[in-house]
Amino acid sequence: MAATLGIPAVSLVTEKFWPQGDFVANSLGMPDLPRVQLPHPVAGTGTDNMRRVAETMAERIIAALKGGT
Amino acid sequence: MLTAPDENEAVEMLHALRCTDGLPVVVPTRERVDRLVLASGQDGDMVLGTMGPAGGIATVEKVAVAAVMAGCLPDHMPVVMAAVQAVIDPAFDLTEMQSTTHCTAPLIIVNGPARQACGGITGGFGALGPGHRANASIGRALRLAMLNIGGARPGESDMALLGHPGKFTYCLAEDEESSPFPPLHTSLGFQAEDSVVTVIGAEAPHSVLYSPTGDASEDARCLAEMLAIGISNLATNNAQLRNGAAVVVLNPEHAQVFQKANLGRESVQKILYGYCFHPPELLRSKAGGFAPRGEDRGPVHAFRSHEDILVLVAGGSGLYSMVMPTWCAGPHVNRFVTRPVLLNAFCEIA
Repeated sequence: MAATLGIPAVSLVTEKFWPQGDFVANSLGMPDLPRVQLPHPVAGTGTDNMRRVAETMAERIIAALKGGT
Repeated sequence: MLTAPDENEAVEMLHALRCTDGLPVVVPTRERVDRLVLASGQDGDMVLGTMGPAGGIATVEKVAVAAVMAGCLPDHMPVVMAAVQAVIDPAFDLTEMQSTTHCTAPLIIVNGPARQACGGITGGFGALGPGHRANASIGRALRLAMLNIGGARPGESDMALLGHPGKFTYCLAEDEESSPFPPLHTSLGFQAEDSVVTVIGAEAPHSVLYSPTGDASEDARCLAEMLAIGISNLATNNAQLRNGAAVVVLNPEHAQVFQKANLGRESVQKILYGYCFHPPELLRSKAGGFAPRGEDRGPVHAFRSHEDILVLVAGGSGLYSMVMPTWCAGPHVNRFVTRPVLLNAFCEIA
C-alpha cells in the first residue's frame, strides 16, 4: 500500500512465500517492488530467532529502501 | 475468445488454463453468458469493482462467465451478483482473505423472498451438503469469480495451508419459517420483505451436539455453553487473535431450546458473548506467540461485541447445530457484509 502511494517501502517475504510476492507485485503493476527474502519460517520461531533474523537482514532492508538490491 | 472443437475439449482446455475449481464446468459460450447477463438486468460491461489479490476488474459479464461455469440458472443471478458485490466491499478484505494461510471461505447466507424466487435456495436438511442445485451453483459461482477474476490460485496467491471443502461452494438460506426468531436480515437493519445476502469469511462448519433434558433454563444454559466452546475454544483464531466474528447455525430444535427459555436472538448473542472468554493466564500458557501480553488479570473475551456472533436457523431438526469460527484478521478483522438482492431489476427469460 505504501509503495503505491510513492512512499519508500520494502516487502519482507519468506522463502516459501516468494512466488506469492511475485504475484502480488505483478498484480499491483510493480514487478520491481523492493523485496528482501527472509528464511522460512520466521513466524512462530521465537523472539530470539526473530531478533537474529532482523540483525542479519537490517542492512539489506536499508539498501532496498535506498534503491539497491 | 477461446475456441475448441467440442464441449469436452473446451472443458479440458479450461482445466489446462487453471480456470476451473478442479471439477468439470459448463462451457461459458457467448450465448450462455449473454443469457445470464440478461438475467442480471445490467450491462455486461458494468464494473462492479476489483477483486484481489490479482486486482481483476469484476464486470457483470465476467461474473456471468463464472455463473455459467458453475452451472447457474438465470434465476440464480440476483444472488450471485449480490454475493460478488458483498465480497468486493472493502470491509470484506477480500485480498487478504484470499491470500491468508488460514482456512477461510465466504459463507453466503440468504434471507427473504430470494430464497424462493432465485431457484429455491434451501435452509433445510443438508443445506450445506450435496444435492441442492441453487445452493451449490451460487456458492460455486462466487468461488469461480474469486479464482478467475480475483486470481486466487492455491500455493501461488491463495496460501491457505489446507483449505476446506466450503471453498468449492458455501451457500445456504436461513430457514425463516422454522425459526422462532425474526429473520436474520431484519436483525441487521433490513425489512422482512427485503432479500439480502450476508457474507462472511468462515471456517468449515463444526458440529455442536446437545441433547435437551426438558429443563428449559438448564437446557438453554448448557446449549449456549456448548456453542460458545465451539466458536471460541482455545484452538480457534477467535480465542487467540480475538475481536473477529463467528457464525452459529442453530437447527430448529436447538432454536426452540432458546425459545422455551424466552430468549430471542439478541439475548442468545449476549449469552454467547458472555461465555466466550478465557482467563489470561490460560492463554499465556497455551497460546504461544499469540498469548496476550501484559499483566491484565481480567477475562480475555473472544469478541468485541455480541453483535459479532451471527445467529441463524438452518438445517434439519435434531441434536446437532453447526458453528463456524473465523480467521479474525485483516484490516477489518473478518467482518460480515450484507447486500440487498435486487429481484426487480432482472429481466424475464422467455
